[in-house]
Amino acid sequence: MRIVISICGIWLFAQAGLAQESLHRQVDALILANAKGKTFSGSADDAEYLRRVYLDFAGRIPSATEARRFLDSKEVDRRTKLLDALLAGPEYAASMEGHFHVMLMERLGDHADWKKYLQRSFADNKPWDELVREILAAGPQEKAPGAAFFLSKRLENYGANPVDYPALTRDIGRLFLGKDFRCAQCHDHLTIKDYKQHDFQGLFVFVKNVSLSTAKTTTPGVTEKPTTAKIEFSSVFGGDKVQTGPRVPGLKEIAIPTLKKGEEYVEKPDVKQQKPGVLKFSTLAALSEQLPTPANQAFNRNIVNRLWFVLMGRGLVHPLDLDHGDNPPSHPEVLDLLAKEFVAHKYDIKWLVRELALTQTYQRSSQLPPLVKNAKPEEFRTALERRMSAEQLLRSMLQATGMTEVKAAKGVPTFDTMSPTFVKAFASEPREPEEEFSPTLKATLFLLNDKSVLSWLEAQPGNLLDRLGREIDNRKAVEELYLSVLTRLPGIDEAADAVRYLDERKGRRPVALRNLAWALFASTEFCVNH
Amino acid sequence: MKDEKMQSFILHPSSLILFFKVGTMTAQAQAPANRFEPRQGPTVNLDCQLGTVRYSPCGRFLAAGAYDATVRRWEVTDAGFTAMPSLTGHRGWVQALAFHPDRRRLFTADSWGEVRSWTYAERQAPPVRTMAAAHDGWIRDLAISPDGRLLATCGRDQKVRLWSIEDGRKLHELTEHNDDVFSVAFHPDGRSLVSGDLHGNVKQWDVANGRKMREFACRPLFFNAANFEQNVGGVRRLVFDAQGRTLACAGSRARTGGNVQGHPTALLFDWASGQLRHTLVVGDGADGYMYDVAFHATGFLMGVTSGNPGTGKFFFIRPGEQTPFFLSTRMTNCQSLAVHPNGTRLVVAATNAGSNGNGRPLRNGVYAANMSPLHVWDLPAS
Amino acid sequence: MNFKKLCTPLDHRISRRQWLGGVAGTTAGALGLCQPGLAQELRRRRKQVLFVWLEGGLSQLESWDPKPNTLFGGPFRAIPTTVPGIHISELWPRTAQQMRHLAVIRSLHTQDNNHSSGVGRIQRGDPANRGVTYPYFGSAVANLLGPGESGLPPYIWVKPGSGGFVTSDAGFLGPRYGALALGGGRAPENLLRADSVSEEDDRERLALRQLADRRYVQQRRTQGTEANSYVYDMAAQLQRHAHLFNSTTLPARDLERYGPSEFGRHMLLGRRLLEAGVTFVKVDSHGWDTHGDNFNGHSNAVPKIDQAFSAMMQDLADRSMLDNVLVVLMSEFGRTPRINGHIGRDHWAEGWSLVMAGSGIRRGVVVGRTNALGTFVEGDEHDIGHLFHTWFTALGINPSRTRYNNAGQPLPIAHEDMEPIRALLA
Repeated sequence: MRIVISICGIWLFAQAGLAQESLHRQVDALILANAKGKTFSGSADDAEYLRRVYLDFAGRIPSATEARRFLDSKEVDRRTKLLDALLAGPEYAASMEGHFHVMLMERLGDHADWKKYLQRSFADNKPWDELVREILAAGPQEKAPGAAFFLSKRLENYGANPVDYPALTRDIGRLFLGKDFRCAQCHDHLTIKDYKQHDFQGLFVFVKNVSLSTAKTTTPGVTEKPTTAKIEFSSVFGGDKVQTGPRVPGLKEIAIPTLKKGEEYVEKPDVKQQKPGVLKFSTLAALSEQLPTPANQAFNRNIVNRLWFVLMGRGLVHPLDLDHGDNPPSHPEVLDLLAKEFVAHKYDIKWLVRELALTQTYQRSSQLPPLVKNAKPEEFRTALERRMSAEQLLRSMLQATGMTEVKAAKGVPTFDTMSPTFVKAFASEPREPEEEFSPTLKATLFLLNDKSVLSWLEAQPGNLLDRLGREIDNRKAVEELYLSVLTRLPGIDEAADAVRYLDERKGRRPVALRNLAWALFASTEFCVNH
Repeated sequence: MKDEKMQSFILHPSSLILFFKVGTMTAQAQAPANRFEPRQGPTVNLDCQLGTVRYSPCGRFLAAGAYDATVRRWEVTDAGFTAMPSLTGHRGWVQALAFHPDRRRLFTADSWGEVRSWTYAERQAPPVRTMAAAHDGWIRDLAISPDGRLLATCGRDQKVRLWSIEDGRKLHELTEHNDDVFSVAFHPDGRSLVSGDLHGNVKQWDVANGRKMREFACRPLFFNAANFEQNVGGVRRLVFDAQGRTLACAGSRARTGGNVQGHPTALLFDWASGQLRHTLVVGDGADGYMYDVAFHATGFLMGVTSGNPGTGKFFFIRPGEQTPFFLSTRMTNCQSLAVHPNGTRLVVAATNAGSNGNGRPLRNGVYAANMSPLHVWDLPAS
Repeated sequence: MNFKKLCTPLDHRISRRQWLGGVAGTTAGALGLCQPGLAQELRRRRKQVLFVWLEGGLSQLESWDPKPNTLFGGPFRAIPTTVPGIHISELWPRTAQQMRHLAVIRSLHTQDNNHSSGVGRIQRGDPANRGVTYPYFGSAVANLLGPGESGLPPYIWVKPGSGGFVTSDAGFLGPRYGALALGGGRAPENLLRADSVSEEDDRERLALRQLADRRYVQQRRTQGTEANSYVYDMAAQLQRHAHLFNSTTLPARDLERYGPSEFGRHMLLGRRLLEAGVTFVKVDSHGWDTHGDNFNGHSNAVPKIDQAFSAMMQDLADRSMLDNVLVVLMSEFGRTPRINGHIGRDHWAEGWSLVMAGSGIRRGVVVGRTNALGTFVEGDEHDIGHLFHTWFTALGINPSRTRYNNAGQPLPIAHEDMEPIRALLA
């Protein structure tokens, strides 16, 4: 009750234009105002918050020890302290790399240099505009090895299929501008009046002369041929031919300088030396200078919308890549505010995710308010259940099963050895965005019967089942199990049922413990970030 | 190894028009200098693809079985080859032919199961005998016994048959292969016949009673890629040396289906003991089949291979050595090797360059077929 | 709570909801396999597809359009069939006996000569480019006809090599219309209960999982737990059908009839799946890209297909299934008339053939022709789009009126500039 009152107060302040109020409070006030008096879920309890904030900023659930430490804490500011500890902690960079790898590569592929590049960038808290500049400029290699992977993976071709330049063009629009120009490739979009063929074609000019580097190196790379002329296109429905040079949608077309043939390079390419050469006019350089700039509203809106999605489970603009006039954000003021403030804070990602995590919106329970059967997800009155990535699931399972405590040896799983298996079982197909919890038969059969996962639920020195087996008190064993797997203590009924289940199976306690543990791993509660 | 500038003559079979082509031939010779260094002579271009080409025992005629159901003939003179009218009447491919030691008759077989014999020296030569259904379908090979009394045939119907040349009667049916049979050869002593199949089984038969006597395992000449229905390989040519001491079984140690790429290989068995003595391999694994081989009088093996896609090899290799002492890669996709009875001239049936691809663009609106040029090589007498 | 009660078998309901993945609708069907009479009746009326795919290119000259004793005809003869006047290659003697059921088309001229791009173009029906990825034929049929009441996924693919859930076939229809691939004819990965988990433990752990979900969902949105229960139901359903995927229990007599090849076993497995009501069964054979040694390749590979395919045709006819099952046997293109230097044939999309049979298809006919040398089509040429129109029509789906709904975007199910080949339709 106290919280609601204070939020209302802030809302009044915000309306009065007192913008010096911290961002998270302003956001909460706007969300509250938008709900027009509908009830909100209460704050998540400490355990729910703990699990959520670990998954988001450490990429895994907390260990039972970490959970106990937090749940036993009586400090008033324990949530903020934990958040700040995680943001400053060693796992922050890898967890952000996980979010952005899935977002930007959409399971097209994976590369160690790319992951290293992302991790280093998040460890350094590299501003988003700089990150995008490096990704779109494909480096430079010396400064940002691995950054080129976003482009290079999309410039690969399979057999006799040509390189899918339209898909690359679309992905740049979708992932950096929040606009899917898919249907505007061949004509103005039929149902989205904001998306023009001109936009697609202008963006296409930036990448059409870019190709996969032939240099014999394992680091991803691309090369570029000179762009000397505009392209000409017309709608498949007929009409006049139109020309465009490189143009970021919404911005001015870039003039292509006139250069004599043979004089396009500052430094000519040298095949023998494996040097790609330096162009006087590079469309990639132009793209990387023009697109990630404060003046580009679509760029600003896209990233704050995507970070909102990462932490809240749904974009303010939804779907994430359909930002246009006829698909307004659920909370236009929030989107504008976030975009404006993010630019004002020089694209400081860690600042923004911290502010978002401090909102009541983030910290709400995923349990519906009393008497409410369903709350529309776009109202953000109740926390949404979020899909866990294959990587989050793997890290969490290794943590919860205690396999992280088993002495390293051949056959003892690590994140690196098991990652491909989990990606195969839980990730979506390439280009299928992983935006909602969408259990599959494949993943289910994997959880049911995969031998390696089942072996983690056999007692091995130091792991969860080993600890449970050595705890002769069934009540204590059940508590340890719940805390380890679900990051909370069992409810009274849960504990009673589980203890009875074990009591009735004295003769086969090890398998009974395993069955209980498996059931928790396979439960929806474990499989989502709730 | 040395490079040698040389000329080849492209000789049209009927009009004797000469074309000149200059190219580079690579001959590999190991020190000391190879005294069996063949020199490439003229090339005779044809309008068809050939299966097997052979010299007549007198050396005055050359005959080739063609994929257009004809048997091509040439009279061999000092000036070159003079085309004689083709022998017609077969249907399907003519891949197998053999000259009778009587120096009169030529036996040919086609892919529709028919065997014919012809008096090959006559300008107009109707068949002397036609065995219309010698096999059910494709006859892969035929051989004539040294004494000229027996004809052996084999084919896709999995049968090996021994016939009396005298009256065309079937003497024995050798049914044990249960497999596509690719090749047959008589031992020079005339008492044994060998036959080789797709799976690399070579069987020795007593020609007197049709009983199987021995088996020679050539399993490396068979390949089946995992999950592929296509079987690859087979004993494509069986050849004895003149004394009958060594049996060569030629084919490919394939490593892929589809394109069929592998090592053209000949397995050399000691006839007396039945032991495998030498495995002769040509190429680096990106070639096709060793389609045809012959022993030189001095004991080395001469042979030709198909390539993949456009190459082909003509080689001389000594048993026991790792690499050929002569190797030409000038000719593409060689199908057959004919050795003149006096040993000084060789004819290789190969394929035109650029035989792969879908056949486009059309030439003068015509979808053109490939063809087999005949490449003539001179081999100095030792 | 009495846990003994928890340990009852799961209820055996058959769900209409979509297979393989994703959150789906909520209707649960009512028809179980316990009502065989009705199930059979429904099965009789339902359309199904058997799609036999020879990966690479089957030579039209060594199959449905022989040109014996001509320039490009190859070594083989042509043989008569049970339909007077129709001859096919001698490599297919058993299929020749089934010709009264079959329709041959000899006038195919398709657009792609390359494998990597051609397979997709052919199996997607090569529609006009709209910037979207069209579904393969199997996914298309799975979407348009649905899974029926079999309790099995609508699109099962028996293939050599590896298996899994091949969702990429589905294109814009989404992963749930992908194929369940039985690699090497084996059950899907992880389908069979691990040895370390007893049947009793399995029942208990599933019941405990349900209990956990029931508690969790109290006062929460239900979509997540529903979706999760749904896939567990599907898993249980598939596990109940595990016997279907066990190729060691295929009848010995039939195995002999279908032949000892892997393809023979896979076709027999395909028959079992069709009999169990699977909407679309695809059976693959590999090794048909005979750039080298084409004639020996066909000589030893075709008989395996001939034996299994003819046995399948006989069985479908004997079981009166040909009225409802559309059968197609094809590869992605034909092979060149001209014979290359390593005695192979290369890719040829400009004049080739395939066979089909069953539901809605005329029986015992040849449609279209090539010229005397077999190089090009004479008369009307037909593209894969025409065949998609023909096959959809044969399955009772009107290809000119039916549209996919791609997130609000209506898309034609087959190339809109083409139409069914009437001469092939019954």
